[in-house]
Amino acid sequence: MNKTMRNIALWLVLFAFLAFFPSLFGVYYTNMVVTFAIFSVYAISLNMLMGYTGLLSFGHSMFFGFGGYGTALALRHIEGIGLIPAIGIGAGAAVLLALILCPLVTRVSGTAFAMLHLAFGQLMYVMALKLYTITGGEDGIGNFPIPGIFTESLKSSPENFYYIAMVILILCVFLMWYFTKTPFGQVQVGIRDNDMRIAYLGYKIPQSKAVIYVAASLFAGVAGSLYGLSHNLVSADGSLGIWMAFSPMIYIMIGGVGYFFGPMLGTAIFQLVDELVLRYTESTELVMGIVLVLVIMFLPGGFMGVFDKLANKLKARTSKREEEKTT
Amino acid sequence: MDPTLSMYISQGIHGIAYGMILFLIASGLSIIFGMMGILNLAHAVFFMLGAYLCYAVVTLTGNFWLGLLIGPVLVAIVGIVMERVFLRYAKNVGHFGELILTMGIGSVIVAVIKMIWGTENKPLPVPEQLQGMVNLFGVSYPIYRLFVIGLSVAILIFMLLLLYRTRLGKIVRAAVSDRDMVNALGININLVFMFVFGIGTWMAGVAGVAIAPILTVFPGLSDQVGMDAFIVCVTGGLGSLPGAFIVSIVFGFLSSYGVQFVSQFAPVLMVIFMAIVLAIKPVGLFGTKG
Repeated sequence: MNKTMRNIALWLVLFAFLAFFPSLFGVYYTNMVVTFAIFSVYAISLNMLMGYTGLLSFGHSMFFGFGGYGTALALRHIEGIGLIPAIGIGAGAAVLLALILCPLVTRVSGTAFAMLHLAFGQLMYVMALKLYTITGGEDGIGNFPIPGIFTESLKSSPENFYYIAMVILILCVFLMWYFTKTPFGQVQVGIRDNDMRIAYLGYKIPQSKAVIYVAASLFAGVAGSLYGLSHNLVSADGSLGIWMAFSPMIYIMIGGVGYFFGPMLGTAIFQLVDELVLRYTESTELVMGIVLVLVIMFLPGGFMGVFDKLANKLKARTSKREEEKTT
Repeated sequence: MDPTLSMYISQGIHGIAYGMILFLIASGLSIIFGMMGILNLAHAVFFMLGAYLCYAVVTLTGNFWLGLLIGPVLVAIVGIVMERVFLRYAKNVGHFGELILTMGIGSVIVAVIKMIWGTENKPLPVPEQLQGMVNLFGVSYPIYRLFVIGLSVAILIFMLLLLYRTRLGKIVRAAVSDRDMVNALGININLVFMFVFGIGTWMAGVAGVAIAPILTVFPGLSDQVGMDAFIVCVTGGLGSLPGAFIVSIVFGFLSSYGVQFVSQFAPVLMVIFMAIVLAIKPVGLFGTKG
């Protein structure tokens, strides 16, 4: 059995596991997996900016929130709209916002970029609270209809929602992975490490940043839209608040900055700890804080960094053995 | 006197009082960033810790002045421990790691506060000497808020004297512009860092004590005022004291007159001001570091 065969077999097993998951583990864990997938996509989209391009954003939540509000408003106000067009409207709203902000934010980087996003993220949050005729203020938009693709409504069938959400989210992860593997994805890393040199190579820095920025906001918008659908509620605190801006950064940090699957691992660890801690004590803050401090003090590369180091050691050992064999 | 005019005046003094509190928090944040390049996300938590420690001292001894004296000093000790134990050993994790580290420490402190004092509002009475109103330009105004303004101005002057009239201030200002050079000149930069971190958190503690009788003490305090102080710091330019001062006064007025004229959109005004300033000058009004 060669390597490609083995890989295909592994993927098949994974997909089969995901396909039978709802009937194996029940509604509670199914919803947990959906939440995990949503936040993975959200965190990976931020990592495209942060880990790959070196643009720290304190306001990525505004795209997440725009996705949610766009979908919720479309479902509430447009008669007979399908699920996919509604998600498309949410993602489109996020992309539109990104296109508007682009000319402004791509000129800067570093702390200024982060602060500019803090400003706009907070602006969107406060606006969502105050423009309550449109957004519902603090209550948000809840209980909007959710049409299915093949069935009438998805509200009473979490399994069907699970399948639709997982197909969309896995597609998103694949697209983002593909994006980082293209030559343009390498330009991202170049901008992070030495943007002057990339400019000398003939790439236009602001325009390249803009493309990445819009792509990242598109995927954040899709994640936000599905988050709104999974809760059947979009609110200012739930989708646009400061915690929503910082939580993906924490996931990325725990998982490992700059590794593609780092944010995913971080999300999984964070959710697992949250789940376990809530069974014993109310104060998740304490445990989360301690986990964060320990990870940053002792595992600066995140958990992916640890795996990377172990893999390197293993590789070094096997290559050494092979060398001994040949001599 | 014309009632409208007197309302304007009292709202103006309100604005100055709130602006001065914001400045006390923001200046500590700003000076720590300017010198160490650390954006301390736990700063607002230190502010809240000051309020809680003062509450503890007042419930133990019944003396507000003792709380004002001891609370901030304890906060500064916690801050120094944080710098000495955590931040100094996290030099190789980069700015982003430091940011998340301060956030983690902040959430641990919040959790401990909730464990000790619970989540309900704790009222802290205004000390006897400062109760009542005073007649100011024909407007009667609570003495305590005037005291807050006076306290802040006193600390501001103390800080300016420290920064511009002492050898230590000279070292600190030199370290803001080039800390490696200062280190190479044989000055123990780590000790200076520790001192600056202590002073910064001490000022946050004083602000917490000062605001405690006005807003009462509760765990949401750090989010409510901390976010405003953070916005002030960013808009004024991180690392710039004059910037922090001007912007905090502007924000004080924006919030007090904003509540009066467009009560619904008062919080929006501040954020819009920040967005406009940063859109034109991304490093903030007086910022130099990118």
